Amino acid sequence: MGRIIIANRHGDQVLEWDPAATDTEEARAQIAAAEQIIREARERGCAVSKKVDGRHVIDNGPFDPKAEEYQIIAPIAGG
Amino acid sequence: MLAVLRSLGQGFWRFFGIEPEPSLEVDRDGIERPWLISWHAVPKRSAGPGFAPSDYARARERAEQVARLTLGCERWAHLQSAGYVDLRSGIFHGLTYRLRVGRRVQLLWDDPGAAQRSPWPFDWLCINPTYPLPAAEFTAQLYLYLRDREADVVRIAAPQPFDQALGRCF
Repeated sequence: MGRIIIANRHGDQVLEWDPAATDTEEARAQIAAAEQIIREARERGCAVSKKVDGRHVIDNGPFDPKAEEYQIIAPIAGG
Repeated sequence: MLAVLRSLGQGFWRFFGIEPEPSLEVDRDGIERPWLISWHAVPKRSAGPGFAPSDYARARERAEQVARLTLGCERWAHLQSAGYVDLRSGIFHGLTYRLRVGRRVQLLWDDPGAAQRSPWPFDWLCINPTYPLPAAEFTAQLYLYLRDREADVVRIAAPQPFDQALGRCF
């Protein structure tokens, strides 16, 4: 399963999808929802980290449904 | 009864101008997407409307799990035991950033000569998330920013003469 960790005031909330199951409407909808969240968060100034070789790195690439884990990183402000 | 209390609570926060942007979907798949919400009127170190003490406790507990995943077990353990995690600057020679949970970032220079080349007039950097987050979670996120996007942090950070708790974390 792939997943996005959305860090928010609840600590985190998770959206999961099965990259192997693209044969059902529900599975495709989950992947589309994950892609939409990442796109929307980036448009609003968030960064996105992706787990690569066991560690999270900030990632600018397109959404990869085969990725193990993404995390939405809050925008930052000084002061 | 619960509906009435919830309505009263929402009215209270609306009085202060705190509510989701009306044209945007905030809760898709049961997930709160804080980047769609205006948080400017939320009091410092608060999670905003509708949060009970048990919600804070649960959020902090979950945040620690995510922070451990983000930092890795070894670095998380060091943060827990030492109270800080250090990161060498990739831009400024002789500089180490020291991160503590919920606090400003401390600048540690190897020697006075290196410190003289500091772009900042003070030794503390104030960097907040733009929406409320548990402090442990933001510490891990800030670590990623400093490691992977240090130039952005250098541009955004506000230098300060002393340490203080961050305003957007709880």
